Amino acid sequence: MPFERLAGDARAIVHTAVEDEARASGHGSVEAEHLLLALAAHPALLGLGLDRDELVAALAQEEERSLAAVGIAAADFDLPAGHRGPRKPRLAASIKLAIARAVAIAAKRGDRRITAKHLLYGVLDAEQGRVPRALRIAGIDRAELRARI
Amino acid sequence: MPTAPPTLPDDPGDALAAVGALRRLADRVEDAAVERAVSEGWSWAQVAEALGVTRQAVHKKHARRLGPATSDRREY
Repeated sequence: MPFERLAGDARAIVHTAVEDEARASGHGSVEAEHLLLALAAHPALLGLGLDRDELVAALAQEEERSLAAVGIAAADFDLPAGHRGPRKPRLAASIKLAIARAVAIAAKRGDRRITAKHLLYGVLDAEQGRVPRALRIAGIDRAELRARI
Repeated sequence: MPTAPPTLPDDPGDALAAVGALRRLADRVEDAAVERAVSEGWSWAQVAEALGVTRQAVHKKHARRLGPATSDRREY
Protein backbone atom coordinates (compact mmCIF):
# COMPACT_ATOMS: atom_id res chain seq x y z
CA MET A 1 0.00 0.00 0.00
CA PRO A 2 1.71 3.17 -1.21
CA PHE A 3 0.16 5.38 1.47
CA GLU A 4 2.61 4.04 4.07
CA ARG A 5 5.50 5.31 2.00
CA LEU A 6 4.26 8.88 2.23
CA ALA A 7 5.73 11.23 4.81
CA GLY A 8 5.40 14.82 5.92
CA ASP A 9 3.60 17.09 3.48
CA ALA A 10 2.39 14.35 1.14
CA ARG A 11 0.87 12.46 4.03
CA ALA A 12 -0.82 15.65 5.24
CA ILE A 13 -2.29 16.24 1.77
CA VAL A 14 -3.74 12.74 1.63
CA HIS A 15 -5.09 13.29 5.15
CA THR A 16 -6.83 16.46 3.87
CA ALA A 17 -8.26 14.46 0.97
CA VAL A 18 -9.69 12.00 3.50
CA GLU A 19 -10.95 14.34 6.20
CA ASP A 20 -11.84 17.57 4.41
CA GLU A 21 -12.86 16.32 1.00
CA ALA A 22 -14.08 12.72 1.10
CA ARG A 23 -15.65 12.74 4.55
CA ALA A 24 -17.11 16.23 4.21
CA SER A 25 -18.63 15.41 0.82
CA GLY A 26 -20.25 12.35 2.31
CA HIS A 27 -18.41 9.79 0.19
CA GLY A 28 -17.83 6.35 1.65
CA SER A 29 -14.52 6.11 -0.19
CA VAL A 30 -11.60 8.44 -0.86
CA GLU A 31 -11.07 8.83 -4.59
CA ALA A 32 -8.44 10.52 -6.78
CA GLU A 33 -10.87 13.42 -7.19
CA HIS A 34 -10.63 14.14 -3.45
CA LEU A 35 -6.84 14.23 -3.73
CA LEU A 36 -7.18 16.63 -6.67
CA LEU A 37 -9.38 18.94 -4.56
CA ALA A 38 -6.92 18.81 -1.66
CA LEU A 39 -4.08 19.64 -4.07
CA ALA A 40 -5.99 22.53 -5.69
CA ALA A 41 -6.01 24.35 -2.34
CA HIS A 42 -2.40 23.51 -1.47
CA PRO A 43 -0.09 26.54 -0.99
CA ALA A 44 2.69 25.05 -3.18
CA LEU A 45 0.32 24.73 -6.16
CA LEU A 46 -1.67 27.96 -5.93
CA GLY A 47 0.26 29.38 -8.89
CA LEU A 48 -1.37 26.83 -11.19
CA GLY A 49 -4.71 28.60 -10.83
CA LEU A 50 -6.67 25.46 -9.98
CA ASP A 51 -9.96 26.59 -8.48
CA ARG A 52 -11.19 24.02 -5.95
CA ASP A 53 -14.82 25.16 -6.10
CA GLU A 54 -14.77 25.13 -9.89
CA LEU A 55 -13.48 21.55 -9.77
CA VAL A 56 -16.22 20.59 -7.30
CA ALA A 57 -18.78 21.98 -9.73
CA ALA A 58 -17.18 20.14 -12.66
CA LEU A 59 -17.22 16.85 -10.72
CA ALA A 60 -20.91 17.34 -9.90
CA GLN A 61 -21.61 18.03 -13.55
CA GLU A 62 -19.66 14.93 -14.57
CA GLU A 63 -21.84 12.83 -12.25
CA GLU A 64 -25.00 14.42 -13.60
CA ARG A 65 -23.99 13.86 -17.23
CA SER A 66 -22.92 10.26 -16.62
CA LEU A 67 -26.29 9.45 -15.08
CA ALA A 68 -28.18 11.37 -17.77
CA ALA A 69 -26.42 9.21 -20.37
CA VAL A 70 -28.39 6.22 -19.04
CA GLY A 71 -31.59 8.19 -18.52
CA ILE A 72 -31.26 8.82 -14.77
CA ALA A 73 -31.51 12.10 -12.87
CA ALA A 74 -30.31 11.89 -9.26
CA ALA A 75 -32.40 14.95 -8.42
CA ASP A 76 -35.54 12.87 -8.92
CA PHE A 77 -34.68 10.83 -5.83
CA ASP A 78 -34.67 13.80 -3.43
CA LEU A 79 -31.73 12.36 -1.49
CA PRO A 80 -29.81 14.07 1.29
CA ALA A 81 -26.35 15.22 0.15
CA GLY A 82 -24.10 14.31 3.06
CA HIS A 83 -25.14 10.79 3.87
CA ARG A 84 -22.26 8.71 5.14
CA GLY A 85 -21.89 10.28 8.54
CA PRO A 86 -19.08 9.19 10.81
CA ARG A 87 -18.03 6.11 8.84
CA LYS A 88 -14.31 6.15 8.15
CA PRO A 89 -13.83 6.50 4.38
CA ARG A 90 -11.54 3.96 2.71
CA LEU A 91 -8.90 4.72 0.12
CA ALA A 92 -10.30 3.59 -3.24
CA ALA A 93 -8.38 2.20 -6.21
CA SER A 94 -8.27 5.57 -8.02
CA ILE A 95 -6.39 7.35 -5.22
CA LYS A 96 -4.11 4.37 -4.61
CA LEU A 97 -3.17 4.44 -8.30
CA ALA A 98 -2.53 8.19 -8.18
CA ILE A 99 -0.27 7.81 -5.13
CA ALA A 100 1.55 4.86 -6.72
CA ARG A 101 2.20 6.97 -9.84
CA ALA A 102 3.46 9.86 -7.68
CA VAL A 103 5.84 7.50 -5.90
CA ALA A 104 7.06 6.10 -9.24
CA ILE A 105 7.61 9.59 -10.70
CA ALA A 106 9.58 10.69 -7.63
CA ALA A 107 11.70 7.53 -7.81
CA LYS A 108 12.36 7.99 -11.51
CA ARG A 109 13.55 11.55 -10.91
CA GLY A 110 15.64 10.56 -7.94
CA ASP A 111 13.57 12.75 -5.59
CA ARG A 112 13.69 11.40 -2.07
CA ARG A 113 10.55 13.13 -0.83
CA ILE A 114 7.06 12.86 -2.31
CA THR A 115 5.71 16.40 -2.66
CA ALA A 116 2.43 18.04 -3.68
CA LYS A 117 3.78 18.26 -7.23
CA HIS A 118 4.46 14.53 -7.47
CA LEU A 119 0.95 13.84 -6.19
CA LEU A 120 -0.54 16.19 -8.79
CA TYR A 121 1.38 14.39 -11.55
CA GLY A 122 -0.02 11.15 -10.18
CA VAL A 123 -3.59 12.49 -10.25
CA LEU A 124 -3.29 14.10 -13.69
CA ASP A 125 -1.76 11.04 -15.35
CA ALA A 126 -5.01 9.07 -15.03
CA GLU A 127 -6.32 8.51 -18.55
CA GLN A 128 -9.75 7.38 -17.41
CA GLY A 129 -12.15 8.09 -14.62
CA ARG A 130 -13.76 11.03 -12.88
CA VAL A 131 -10.67 13.28 -12.79
CA PRO A 132 -9.94 13.51 -16.54
CA ARG A 133 -13.66 13.68 -17.31
CA ALA A 134 -14.25 16.53 -14.83
CA LEU A 135 -11.15 18.40 -16.03
CA ARG A 136 -12.49 18.17 -19.57
CA ILE A 137 -15.80 19.64 -18.41
CA ALA A 138 -13.94 22.45 -16.60
CA GLY A 139 -12.07 23.20 -19.83
CA ILE A 140 -8.71 22.32 -18.27
CA ASP A 141 -6.12 20.76 -20.59
CA ARG A 142 -4.36 18.05 -18.58
CA ALA A 143 -1.19 18.08 -20.68
CA GLU A 144 -0.93 21.86 -20.55
CA LEU A 145 -1.51 21.90 -16.79
CA ARG A 146 1.01 19.09 -16.31
CA ALA A 147 3.62 21.09 -18.23
CA ARG A 148 3.13 24.05 -15.90
CA ILE A 149 3.75 22.10 -12.66
CA MET B 1 -36.98 15.21 -15.82
CA PRO B 2 -34.71 14.28 -18.76
CA THR B 3 -36.22 11.52 -20.83
CA ALA B 4 -33.11 10.20 -22.57
CA PRO B 5 -33.68 6.63 -23.73
CA PRO B 6 -32.03 4.20 -21.31
CA THR B 7 -29.61 2.73 -23.83
CA LEU B 8 -25.95 1.96 -23.22
CA PRO B 9 -23.83 4.98 -24.25
CA ASP B 10 -21.80 4.34 -27.43
CA ASP B 11 -18.55 5.57 -25.90
CA PRO B 12 -17.07 2.97 -23.49
CA GLY B 13 -15.78 5.77 -21.25
CA ASP B 14 -19.27 7.21 -20.95
CA ALA B 15 -20.80 3.78 -20.37
CA LEU B 16 -18.28 2.89 -17.63
CA ALA B 17 -18.65 6.32 -16.02
CA ALA B 18 -22.41 5.73 -15.92
CA VAL B 19 -21.82 2.44 -14.07
CA GLY B 20 -19.75 4.24 -11.42
CA ALA B 21 -22.33 7.00 -11.08
CA LEU B 22 -25.15 4.44 -10.78
CA ARG B 23 -23.26 2.59 -8.02
CA ARG B 24 -22.79 5.83 -6.08
CA LEU B 25 -26.45 6.69 -6.58
CA ALA B 26 -27.46 3.19 -5.45
CA ASP B 27 -25.40 3.69 -2.27
CA ARG B 28 -27.21 6.94 -1.55
CA VAL B 29 -30.60 5.37 -2.23
CA GLU B 30 -29.64 2.49 0.10
CA ASP B 31 -28.66 4.92 2.85
CA ALA B 32 -31.96 6.78 2.58
CA ALA B 33 -34.03 3.59 2.34
CA VAL B 34 -32.32 1.90 5.31
CA GLU B 35 -32.68 5.05 7.38
CA ARG B 36 -36.39 5.19 6.63
CA ALA B 37 -36.92 1.50 7.38
CA VAL B 38 -35.09 1.73 10.71
CA SER B 39 -36.99 4.87 11.68
CA GLU B 40 -40.21 3.00 10.98
CA GLY B 41 -39.22 0.22 13.34
CA TRP B 42 -37.62 -2.36 11.04
CA SER B 43 -34.96 -4.55 12.67
CA TRP B 44 -31.51 -5.02 11.14
CA ALA B 45 -32.52 -8.60 10.34
CA GLN B 46 -35.53 -7.43 8.35
CA VAL B 47 -33.54 -4.75 6.54
CA ALA B 48 -30.81 -7.28 5.71
CA GLU B 49 -33.29 -9.82 4.36
CA ALA B 50 -35.00 -7.16 2.26
CA LEU B 51 -31.65 -6.07 0.80
CA GLY B 52 -30.50 -9.64 0.27
CA VAL B 53 -27.37 -9.28 2.37
CA THR B 54 -26.29 -10.61 5.75
CA ARG B 55 -27.34 -8.89 8.95
CA GLN B 56 -23.67 -8.37 9.79
CA ALA B 57 -23.11 -6.60 6.47
CA VAL B 58 -26.01 -4.21 6.89
CA HIS B 59 -25.13 -3.57 10.53
CA LYS B 60 -21.51 -2.84 9.67
CA LYS B 61 -22.51 -0.48 6.89
CA HIS B 62 -25.29 1.46 8.62
CA ALA B 63 -25.37 0.95 12.39
CA ARG B 64 -22.74 3.53 13.18
CA ARG B 65 -24.23 6.11 10.84
CA LEU B 66 -27.74 5.68 12.18
CA GLY B 67 -26.60 5.54 15.79
CA PRO B 68 -28.26 3.74 18.65
CA ALA B 69 -31.78 4.75 17.62
CA THR B 70 -32.49 1.39 16.06
CA SER B 71 -35.18 -1.07 16.91
CA ASP B 72 -33.04 -4.19 16.77
CA ARG B 73 -33.63 -6.26 19.85
CA ARG B 74 -30.82 -8.70 19.24
CA GLU B 75 -27.29 -8.25 20.44
CA TYR B 76 -24.34 -8.93 18.19
